[in-house]
Amino acid sequence: MARESLVSRLNKKVFGYLASRFPPTPWADLTRRTVETVQRQVPRSHAEKYELKTIWYWYPLYCLGGISFVAFILLTITGILLGFYYIPDGTIQFTQTGDVTSRAYESMNFIMNDVPFGFMIRGLHHWGAHIMIAAVFLHMMRVYFTGAYKKPRELNWLLGAVLLIITLAFGYSGYVLPANDLSRAAATIGINMAKASPGPPWLGQLLTMLIFGEPDPTGFYIIRMYWLHVFILPMVGVLLMILHMALVWIQGVGEPH
Amino acid sequence: MEIKAVREGVYEDRAGFPRQYGPERSDHQPGIPFWPHEVYRDLVITFLLVAILFFLSAFATPLVGPSANPAVQPYSVPDWYLLFSWGLLKIADLFPVIHVPENFGGGTLIGTEIDAAVWGDLLTAIPVIPIFLLPFIDRGRETRPAKSPFRAAGGMYMIAFVFFASVYAANDRIIATWPFIHDDTLKWLFVVPPTLVLVASYVGIRRLGFRDMYWWIVASLGASFAIVSLVAAQVFVLGPWAADGIDPLTRLAMLPNNPAAHPLFAFMIIVLAYTGIVFFAAVALRERKAKQWVLFWSLFFFFLAVGLVKFFADTNPAGVGVALEVIAYHGNWFIAFPLFSLITYYVGTRTPYSTYEYLLNECYQCGKCHTVCPVTKVEDDALGGLNLVYNTFKKQHDGVPLWTCLACDACSAVCPLDIKYSDYILEERSKVMARPMAADGGRRSAE
Repeated sequence: MARESLVSRLNKKVFGYLASRFPPTPWADLTRRTVETVQRQVPRSHAEKYELKTIWYWYPLYCLGGISFVAFILLTITGILLGFYYIPDGTIQFTQTGDVTSRAYESMNFIMNDVPFGFMIRGLHHWGAHIMIAAVFLHMMRVYFTGAYKKPRELNWLLGAVLLIITLAFGYSGYVLPANDLSRAAATIGINMAKASPGPPWLGQLLTMLIFGEPDPTGFYIIRMYWLHVFILPMVGVLLMILHMALVWIQGVGEPH
Repeated sequence: MEIKAVREGVYEDRAGFPRQYGPERSDHQPGIPFWPHEVYRDLVITFLLVAILFFLSAFATPLVGPSANPAVQPYSVPDWYLLFSWGLLKIADLFPVIHVPENFGGGTLIGTEIDAAVWGDLLTAIPVIPIFLLPFIDRGRETRPAKSPFRAAGGMYMIAFVFFASVYAANDRIIATWPFIHDDTLKWLFVVPPTLVLVASYVGIRRLGFRDMYWWIVASLGASFAIVSLVAAQVFVLGPWAADGIDPLTRLAMLPNNPAAHPLFAFMIIVLAYTGIVFFAAVALRERKAKQWVLFWSLFFFFLAVGLVKFFADTNPAGVGVALEVIAYHGNWFIAFPLFSLITYYVGTRTPYSTYEYLLNECYQCGKCHTVCPVTKVEDDALGGLNLVYNTFKKQHDGVPLWTCLACDACSAVCPLDIKYSDYILEERSKVMARPMAADGGRRSAE
């Protein structure tokens, strides 16, 4: 009897070790049964189930939410790669020749000029953000004009509205990070808007210190925006996105018919 | 039909009786399998997206720009998706500064005064708050835009509002590029174009649902003509010559002798004549003739205007300068309103093509129309059963309902969803005879 090859034995060893500890069979069976019997297809919409004629030329618009999700995944990947090089320190410093700079700005230049394909990764992150926001806007318009926010999908519309704000906040906190002139101008406007928030005076102060960490844009706002951009918004956003898509799965696609 | 018989599938696959799909049936599953069809399609979309992103990052690489410098006040605009907020912040100083008295919570609850900065925050909330309130405001069940025209037109209004707010955000750049455009003109962008978009979309979307929009067209085109006339009169009486201190009527009489006024004069006549002719055609002419008129005069005045600009640019450049200034200042009226007249007239009278099916498909196959239809009682082809509306949009009628229908409207009378079946039949017949029906169903334009 020929002896088994080394690879095959290693395979059996490793997968046998894993399978005896974390048996996948029941889960695989369950999944296969679900896929093959109950839900062999993507959930059928009402129109599909009853073979109603719908406005078929609107169907391409139904991929916009998916496009924004794909863009979000791309942004996550490229964002992680950028995070290896970016330094969230906006403190104003001076170069040997007396030019104004900061460590955040220097790290941006490092990414753009020295990191192999760094400009490509940042380009993907930049344009991916634009495409995601455009897709989210168009997705909202599609949902609005097809009346998909109506009963029973009100909660999902509200989740989507919060996700829209989160997406815009992602965009804003993202273009503040490079510590360039646009960043400073945007931070100035943001700080002034936060200061002037309607309500008692202490509320504006509190919001300013909470969001930007300083009443004038000297450079500390970068670290606050960074934490917002890489931790708080992704955490809340991913959570809400999962809920958003789970509700679409449960409630079905809202088609006009 | 008896529910029990249907459950047992007695009528299954007999003419006129559709297959019944219910929760118990698992053998027949219409739709596209997730694997591989949906996955392939999604992968194509994903790869296309990634390809576009790679293309953009390679050929339109975002540059970092100069470093943030506290000593330099940079000229920067936010990214396009926040431009609307920037535009609204820029008009915040139009609003009055409100001092909040102590006994209304001034200083502690609301703040001592509501100044331009606070107004800016409040204005930014204008497009945001309706988004959150939407599911609570609109409680209706109707999802299709053609059936709830005000919602659809309101959506178009908000899109136009956000768009023109974003345009206004670049006002200093626009004025630097085209110095003859005045800031007041740009401020009116917040009001005039979104309103025109609202009215035009309302008219067009109602027409999409086969409504007769005659009076809406008369009202909006009349208002357009009246407003353009008023603004033109105001230009001539008070216009660019107001500073010379002459009595307005005397100056009006002198204008024909003033060569600097000739190009403006010509342009005013064109705008007034155009809006007037479109209004007249919509009100007084039969529809087919009116469409020809509108098309003819649109082309005529367009080429006339182009020719006149060419002519005056050679012979009377000073007058062209005056005309350009006045037209640019009143652009919201002299340019937007003629366009509005044309678009509203077009969308208000056009013949929707397949959209009637999209009204028919409300049908949930109750079969009442079949029960009352007199044709099905005598016509051999229809004896087996003929669910008129359902079969029509399924294209299964073999021409029987189309040419044997009496248009007696008994089916519409019993239809629980008020589907106007005989209207559909007449529409289809007129299409086959290659003579499209008028927008008003032929009531005013019968020849």
